[in-house]
Amino acid sequence: MTETKRTGEPLLHVEHLTKEFPVEAGVFASRMNKKRVHAVEDVSFDIYPGETFGLVGESGCGKSTTGRTIMRLTNPTAGKVIFDGKDVAKMNKRELKEMRRNMQFIFQDPYASLNPRMTIGEIVSEPLQIHGVMKDQKERIEYVRSLLDIVGLNPEHINRYPHEFSGGQRQRVGIARAFALKPKLIICDEPVSALDVSIQAQVLNLLSDLQKEYGTAYLFIAHDLSVVQHISDRVAVMYLGHMMEDSDWKTLYAEPHHPYTQALLSAVPIPDPDVQHARKRIILSGDVPSPIDPPAGCPFHERCPIAKEQCSKGEMPELREVKPGHFCACHFAAPNPIKGSSVEL
Amino acid sequence: MARKKNDNWVELKDQPVPEGSHLLEVDDLKMYFHTQDGVVKAVDGVSYTLDRGETLGVVGESGSGKSVTSLTIMGLIDMPPGKIEGGDVRYRGKSLLAMSEREMEHVRGNDIAMIFQDPMTSLNPVYTIGRQLGEGLRLHRGYSKEQARERSIELLKMVGIPNAEQRVKDYPHEFSGGMRQRVMIAMALACDPDILIADEPTTALDVTIQAQIIELMKSMQEKNGNAIIMITHDLGVVADVADKIMVMYAGSPVEFGTAEEIFYSASHPYTWGLIRSIPKQVEDKKESLTPIKGNPPSLVNAPKGCSFAPRCPYAKDICHQKKPEPTYVGEGHYTKCHFATEPGFIEKNAPATSRTKSAKGGE
Repeated sequence: MTETKRTGEPLLHVEHLTKEFPVEAGVFASRMNKKRVHAVEDVSFDIYPGETFGLVGESGCGKSTTGRTIMRLTNPTAGKVIFDGKDVAKMNKRELKEMRRNMQFIFQDPYASLNPRMTIGEIVSEPLQIHGVMKDQKERIEYVRSLLDIVGLNPEHINRYPHEFSGGQRQRVGIARAFALKPKLIICDEPVSALDVSIQAQVLNLLSDLQKEYGTAYLFIAHDLSVVQHISDRVAVMYLGHMMEDSDWKTLYAEPHHPYTQALLSAVPIPDPDVQHARKRIILSGDVPSPIDPPAGCPFHERCPIAKEQCSKGEMPELREVKPGHFCACHFAAPNPIKGSSVEL
Repeated sequence: MARKKNDNWVELKDQPVPEGSHLLEVDDLKMYFHTQDGVVKAVDGVSYTLDRGETLGVVGESGSGKSVTSLTIMGLIDMPPGKIEGGDVRYRGKSLLAMSEREMEHVRGNDIAMIFQDPMTSLNPVYTIGRQLGEGLRLHRGYSKEQARERSIELLKMVGIPNAEQRVKDYPHEFSGGMRQRVMIAMALACDPDILIADEPTTALDVTIQAQIIELMKSMQEKNGNAIIMITHDLGVVADVADKIMVMYAGSPVEFGTAEEIFYSASHPYTWGLIRSIPKQVEDKKESLTPIKGNPPSLVNAPKGCSFAPRCPYAKDICHQKKPEPTYVGEGHYTKCHFATEPGFIEKNAPATSRTKSAKGGE
């Protein structure tokens, strides 16, 4: 499934994407204060039509900023974002609007991302209005009702307001809105992390069903590794703004080549006491360093159990292809590099 | 500010657990909230027992009453709107619900301590870490400022905060989320409590930090022998730490048993639903998830029969009519389902576990 899809032109090509924020806001801040938050540093990846690309990492690793920069909700500091053959970073306002017909967003918080003063019918039909699709009102209402039905909401509720719905139902409204224009790519930023497990499973199944039906590609951003594994064809791991590893999901979970990926996988508790008690965990010491003053060399070297002297010097190790289609940014990239413990599946 | 320790107070912690009872006994506890919309039955008949050195995992979705149960035990629910409609909580044989506020002040922090979910808001931003850590010691133990400071430094070292002598003077905003949660644990353990209630202690934290905090709680328990009540929605966390598990739904437990029983011989359709809902780590092929249909019921107009019946794929007429009573399917393992004793019901419908799979593979 994974291998066969990656042929032809990528739908989205991200190359050396970098995003920095000034530490202080204001007109003169950038001149007065040279400090920068290095949110995204030199990130490159491709998404092919119809595939799900999972982006995981801990909070503050830049995964959400990557998603927002791709859609140009913030402007990139450097780098290229080629969507459907055009560079998003160079688009003017009109081209951007046109591009966003094909690239939509699903937000994390179903409570904050729906306007409380609009009915769910208005919310779902807003993208149609903005892009001038389906000018006939009757036709549009019919279409919105069918969309609500597809995402598992009662079409009769078209005139209700968001507060009348539960969290999971609101997320369904957000999904209907994102699918209204039948986009080619949807950026899902933590779409299920605010939901309870039983509801989370409903939404994940809905996303996979819609993908099968419409062939939409997803950039799926989440911190929950099991959720990402479940939904993704390809998974990339970020740490402190850098891409650490990028591979198809099977290899990444079975044979992580980066010590950070291995540690991250081993930290996820498995809901099976036999398995959980039998495996040896890698407990990383310390916290993620500050992105304002990132360490020299590999950003992970301070917490890495296998770091050697060269890791703390010079540049970040290059993201190199360790196996066909498997990229890893570590000097000592090897299958399960931290020895004496293995990530049990 | 807090009063000094009352000298006439007999330390509950030093008293033996009465013959035939447990360290903590929660007996058919009911906590209802009287609101404008009606009576919210937040906790509706919760019972369990806990002994020293044990960890009880309380699992459930949001609104299932898992937090309110522990807040009621701690006497932290405002009454009104809350009202205890029945049941009892006994700690070392003494009823906590019958205690005066003055008496509860001795229990809180000293005998039973609590860690909250959000480390960002549960520390006071205008006091130093040292002062907040020492507050319980000065109150319960009558420590001087100097003694409290020294003990605070020890506690910070114990929970693995580097450079504790300096950090004790810092304010909460100077700590990261994981470090604040360590401070919360240090604070909870300051007076060496019998019972530590941890309400979603790692939900706001990243997985690598979560692993650190869980290891810390385990090693502290090994050292101090305290009991832990771990409230969480994450089945992975309970699989890691819990000896016993209570699965809650709509204000009451639907299944209770040892960790083994809940994970390998679960007998309630809701527990099955939870287990099926979580994405499994698989090696080769992905199976689609089996979610639980629908949404949790409102606690104001709770269903007449079994609270899970509207979402249960196996529900029959009786489920909508009559509330199920606890049925024992093993010693200490009960389930609130009408069909638990029906032959073949569990065998036919329970999800496959790693144990059943390996047993099948061996055949």
